[in-house]
Amino acid sequence: MAHTPGHRDYVSNLPGVSNPEETFAQITRQDYMDFVNNFRDFEEKLLKATDDTSLMDQAREDQMRQNQIAQQVQQRNIERYGGAGLSNAQRQQQQRNLQLGGQLGLTGSLNNARVQQRQVNNALLNELIGIGQGVNQSSLSGLGDASAMAAQRAAAYKNAKAQHHSNMMGLGGAILGALI
Amino acid sequence: MSSKPNAGAYKASEQEKALASVSLAEKNYFKQKYLPKLTELRDRSMTEDYSGVATGRAQADTMQALSGRPTIRAAQSVDAAADLASAAGAQQLQGRVQGLTAQRGDQVNVLKNARGMQADAQSGLSRAARIESSKQLQFAKAKQARRNANFKFASNLAGDIGKKLRQTSGQVDTEENDNRPDPDAPIGSFYNTGFGSGFGGR
Repeated sequence: MAHTPGHRDYVSNLPGVSNPEETFAQITRQDYMDFVNNFRDFEEKLLKATDDTSLMDQAREDQMRQNQIAQQVQQRNIERYGGAGLSNAQRQQQQRNLQLGGQLGLTGSLNNARVQQRQVNNALLNELIGIGQGVNQSSLSGLGDASAMAAQRAAAYKNAKAQHHSNMMGLGGAILGALI
Repeated sequence: MSSKPNAGAYKASEQEKALASVSLAEKNYFKQKYLPKLTELRDRSMTEDYSGVATGRAQADTMQALSGRPTIRAAQSVDAAADLASAAGAQQLQGRVQGLTAQRGDQVNVLKNARGMQADAQSGLSRAARIESSKQLQFAKAKQARRNANFKFASNLAGDIGKKLRQTSGQVDTEENDNRPDPDAPIGSFYNTGFGSGFGGR
């Protein structure tokens, strides 16, 4: 084979494929096994993630931490201004407001988290349904192929049997014809 | 009569061999170089902290906006701290949502790609099965054609032998009939023909 000078021939150095049919079947089988080994667990986890509650769990923790931080900020500010001229009653009111605000914040956060969690989970569910449709489609097409092949083989077998019967009858007829 | 088929004429061409070699090499390259990237993304999408950056930034923004410059008015306010906590909590939630959405996006992408490869593998298996099935059918058809030819040959042979046998037995019959007495002939004629005129007095 003629090659352009200065260019390496990569194809000739590749390993040969002695039995393309067997190689093809082997590779596709291996591909499927690789998929199961590498991604089946991942897929299962993702399917379970449609019931995820991590946002709601995290929102509670986050809000409680933020309440604590806000209280510390307020405390530092008051100290920074030497009490800021607040009476005890005012300071108590501040505390009560912070507690009340914190609780309201917690409730609000949890409600929002529930809504957001639902949105994220639904978006995931939609994607998974789309993927599932593909899985269903390709498995049905595989089953259809297998069934068509089986039907073709059965028809060929029946045809061969009919032909054999016809041949035997012909032979018998010829022998009988010769004897009579 | 046609000559016997030459097995060499049915061997793979150079192009066919090159196609198989290149395809196999590319397939191996994909498996070595690209597939690990997908499994890497799979692992990263499961373990990486997607919301860390978003929540950190949300926290910084909130604090900068609401407590960046301390004032005595803020220190005296009865609801400033509660507002701060509430706003920071809401911002944290937004950060978490962004992180989780990004994480799910990556995970779905990984699964889509993996499922795409699996679908390719499945259709490849289907093709392999179809190739094998049609090969088996072609072999069976060829065998059947051979069997038919043998039967035809045997039938023709049997017919010919029968014909020959009939012809031969027909000849024998004719020869035998030549020596047999003519049933229509008058009585005594046999003797006349067979034994001459000894008795007939002709």
